Amino acid sequence: MTRYILRRLAQLIPVLLGISVMVFALLHLIPGDPAAIFLGQEATPAEIARLRHILGLDEPLLMQFGKFLLRLVHGDLGVSITQNVPVGGLVLKHLPATVELAVTAMVIAIVIAIPLGVISATRKGSVLDLGSLILAQLGVSMPVFWLGMLMITTFALRLHWLPTFGRGPSFSEAFVALAKGDFAAVSSTFTHILMPAMAMGLTAAALITRMVRSTMLEVLQQDYVRTARAKGISEFKVIFRHALRNALLPVVTIVGLQFGAMLGGAVVTESIFAWPGVGRLAVEAIGQRDFPVIQGTVLSLALSFSVMNLLVDLSYAYINPKIRYD
Amino acid sequence: VANRLFKVLAVTMVLGLLLTGCGGTKSTDQGTSQPAQPGQSASGGTLKIGLDVDAGTLDPRLMKDTTASRAIELIYDGLVYLDANLKPQPNLAEKWSNPDPTTWIFNLRQNVKWHDGQDFTADDVVYTFKTELDPNFKAPYAANYASITNVEAVDKYTVKFTLKAAYAPMLGYMDLGIVPKHIGEKNDNSLGETPVGTGAFKFVKWDKKSKIQLDANKGYWGGAPKLDKVELDIIPDNTNRVNAIEAGDVDLVHSPISPQDIPRLQANKNLNTTLTTGLGITYLNFNTADPVLSDVKVRQAIASLIDRKTIADTIYQKMDAPGKSVLLPTSWAFSDKVTGPEYDEKKAAELLTAAGYKQDGGKWKKDGKELSLTIGTHTEDPNRLQTIEYIQNALTKAGITVKVKNAEWATFSNDVYASKHQIALMGWLNLIDPDKNMYNQFHSKGGSNWGKYNNPAVDKLLDQGRGETDQAKRTAAYQEAAKIVADDVVYHVVTYQGYVFSANKKVKGFEINPKGSFRSIQKVELTK
Repeated sequence: MTRYILRRLAQLIPVLLGISVMVFALLHLIPGDPAAIFLGQEATPAEIARLRHILGLDEPLLMQFGKFLLRLVHGDLGVSITQNVPVGGLVLKHLPATVELAVTAMVIAIVIAIPLGVISATRKGSVLDLGSLILAQLGVSMPVFWLGMLMITTFALRLHWLPTFGRGPSFSEAFVALAKGDFAAVSSTFTHILMPAMAMGLTAAALITRMVRSTMLEVLQQDYVRTARAKGISEFKVIFRHALRNALLPVVTIVGLQFGAMLGGAVVTESIFAWPGVGRLAVEAIGQRDFPVIQGTVLSLALSFSVMNLLVDLSYAYINPKIRYD
Repeated sequence: VANRLFKVLAVTMVLGLLLTGCGGTKSTDQGTSQPAQPGQSASGGTLKIGLDVDAGTLDPRLMKDTTASRAIELIYDGLVYLDANLKPQPNLAEKWSNPDPTTWIFNLRQNVKWHDGQDFTADDVVYTFKTELDPNFKAPYAANYASITNVEAVDKYTVKFTLKAAYAPMLGYMDLGIVPKHIGEKNDNSLGETPVGTGAFKFVKWDKKSKIQLDANKGYWGGAPKLDKVELDIIPDNTNRVNAIEAGDVDLVHSPISPQDIPRLQANKNLNTTLTTGLGITYLNFNTADPVLSDVKVRQAIASLIDRKTIADTIYQKMDAPGKSVLLPTSWAFSDKVTGPEYDEKKAAELLTAAGYKQDGGKWKKDGKELSLTIGTHTEDPNRLQTIEYIQNALTKAGITVKVKNAEWATFSNDVYASKHQIALMGWLNLIDPDKNMYNQFHSKGGSNWGKYNNPAVDKLLDQGRGETDQAKRTAAYQEAAKIVADDVVYHVVTYQGYVFSANKKVKGFEINPKGSFRSIQKVELTK
C-alpha cells in the first residue's frame, strides 16, 4: 500500500512537469504583454521595454522556462507582477477559501444525493422517483451563475436570511471561535458559505443522484441481494449494508471528479458571491497576464486534482475489499 | 419494512435540508454598524463600502487601480488633495509657491505623525518622489512626474522641486500619497501590504480579494474621524454589488454600475442615488495610418453615421452623456462648440462621394473594391460590446462592410498598442488635466498615439498647453487642438462617462467627487 502511494506520488512529477510546459507554452502563445498591461494605457514603448527587461521577459523563452523550473525545484513559484508579492504565499492565502467551499458544496451534494438516489431506486416509478429525476435534470441544466443570482435575490434580497456576498471567518477561525463560545463568528462562517456552496453543490447533487439511482437499481437486482432478503435481513440493512456499499464504487469516482472540478472550476461561483478563492485569483491573473500567478495557480490546482484522484483510488480498496494495491 | 426505510430517509432529508437551508437567520457580521436609537445621531460605527476589484498594492507609488486609490487616500495624505472641482487644496503642504516656472517650493504641515508614531518631515516627501522617479522602482505613473529633475529638503518642513521645463499640470499630480521613509527604506514591500500613512484612517487588515479593514486615526491632524471603522468590501459582480446595498450589507457603492441597475437604486427609499458626469470618455480610436482610414473624409463619414445620443440614451440608459470632444464638460477647458462630426447620414454620403467612393448595389465601392472596415472593443464591458453592435449595424445599413473583432483586454490592447487596429472602441479614465488626455494621445511623439496621428499644428498647441501657466492661454490652446483632432476624427468621442454614487440614507456628510474620491469619509457619520 505504502509502495503504491509512493509510486503514485512519484508519477506526479512528470504530470506536473508536463503541465508546466503546457502552461508556459500557452501563456507565451496567446497575445498580450504583461508589462504593457501592468503599466496601462499611458505607458510609453520605452517604459514597457524597460519593465520587460526587469521582469526578464526579453530573454529567450527556453532561458525563461529554465529559470522558472530552477525556481520551482527550490519551491519558489516566483513573484506576482501585479501584486509584487511571492506567488506561493498568494496561492496559499486563497486556497483554503476554495477548499472550504468545495468541501461544503460536496457535503451538501452527498447529503442530498445519496438519500434521494436511494429513494428513487427503491421506489422506482413512484411520484418521488419522478420528482427526484426532474430535480436532478433541473440541477444539471441550470447554470451556476443563474442559480446563484436566483438564490441571492431570494435568500439575501427578499428574505434577508443570508448575506449577499463574501466570506465569514475561515473554518479554522470558526473552530477557535466555537471553543471560545463566540457563536456569532461561527454563524457568520456558516451563513456566508451556505449560498455559494449550495449553488455549486446542487449541480453536483443532481449528477450524483442520477448515478446513485442507476447503480442502485442494478445492484438491487443482483442475486446476493435476493439471498440477503431471503435470509430475513431487514430491508434497511439490505439496502445500506449490502446494496449501497457495492453501488458506491462508481459514485465515489464521480464524487472525486466533481470535487476536482469544484476546486478548479469555482470561478463563476467565486465571482458572483465575491468568494476570495483561488479561481478568482487565476482568472484575474489571466486578464492581467500575470504569468507567475497563472503558473502557480494552475500547478497547485493540478496538484490538488491529482492528489484527489489518488485518494479516490485508495478509497476503492476500502469500499471493495477485492481491490488491493500491492 | 420498506416503509420504515422510507420514513428514516425522509427524516434524514428533512433534517439535512433544515440544517442547510434554514439554518441561517439574519446575517450577523461582526463589526457592522451598531443600530442606534431612532432619530439619534450615532457617533462611530463601521462604514461598509462595496467596490468592484481588489487593490493590487496599498503603496501609493505603485498603485494603479481604483480600489487602491480609494484605500490609499484614506490611509495616506498627499501634499495636496483635489477638491470636488478638481482644484488642488492644501493637505500635507500648508502652502506652496512657484517662484519661477521650473521651481516649486512646498511648505509642509508641522506636528504630523505617522500611524506608527514617528514624525513626518520633508525627508519623507523627498524619499517618496525620489523612489517614484527611480526606474527600478517600476512606478506605473512615473510619467506624470517625469519633468521633475530634482527634489530636495530645504529644511525639516520645506521641500523644493526643480523641473526641466515648465509643466503646468504638475500641481494636479501632487496628490500622490507620501510614504514614510523609515519604513520604505527597508524595501520589503511592507508599505504595499501593511501600509503606514499619516491619513485619517489606519490600516488594520487586508483579506485579499475579500476586504480591507481600516480604523479611525484618533490623532489625525485634521481632526479625528466620526466613524470608528471603514471596511472596503470587494464584490466583483456589478449587479451583486447593487444587491448588497439594497440588502443593507454595504452602505455605499459607486461606479462602475450597470446602467440597467440604476433605476432600482433610484427607486429604493433607503438610498440616496446621484448621477453626475465623471472623468472618463468612451471613444473610437481611428488608425490614421491605415490605407483606407488615412483619408480624413472616410473618417468623417464614419463619424457622421454614428448617433451618439442613441448610444448614450439607449445602451447607457442616460448614465453616460453623448460625447462631443476630448474636452470633458467638468474641465475648465471645456467648450460645447468643439464636437467633431455630428450624426448626419446625408453628410456621410457626400463625404464618401467626395472621397471617390460610389454606391454600387447598396455598397460603397472605390476602384471596384468594397469599403470594408474592422471595428472592435474589449469583451469585459457588455455596454461597449453593444455599442460595437450598434455601430456595425449603422455602418452596414449605410453600405459599408463591417467586420467585428472583439477580444479580452489583454489581446485587444496588444493589437491597438501595435497600431494593428482600424477602429477601436475604448476609454480613458481620470482625466483631470487636458494635458493628460491629449498630449500622449495626439502629439506625434506621444506614447499613446496608437492612431499614428501626425500634425505639426497640434504638436505646437500641445507643447504650448503643457508649458504655459496662464489658464486662459492654456484653455485657448487646448480648445484649438481639440477642435482640430475632433474635425480630423482621430478620436470620435462617443460618450462622456457618467459617475453613479449611491449611499444608504444613514450616511451623512459625504461629498460626491467626480474623481470618485473617498477623502470626505473622514467627515462622514452614520445616523439612523
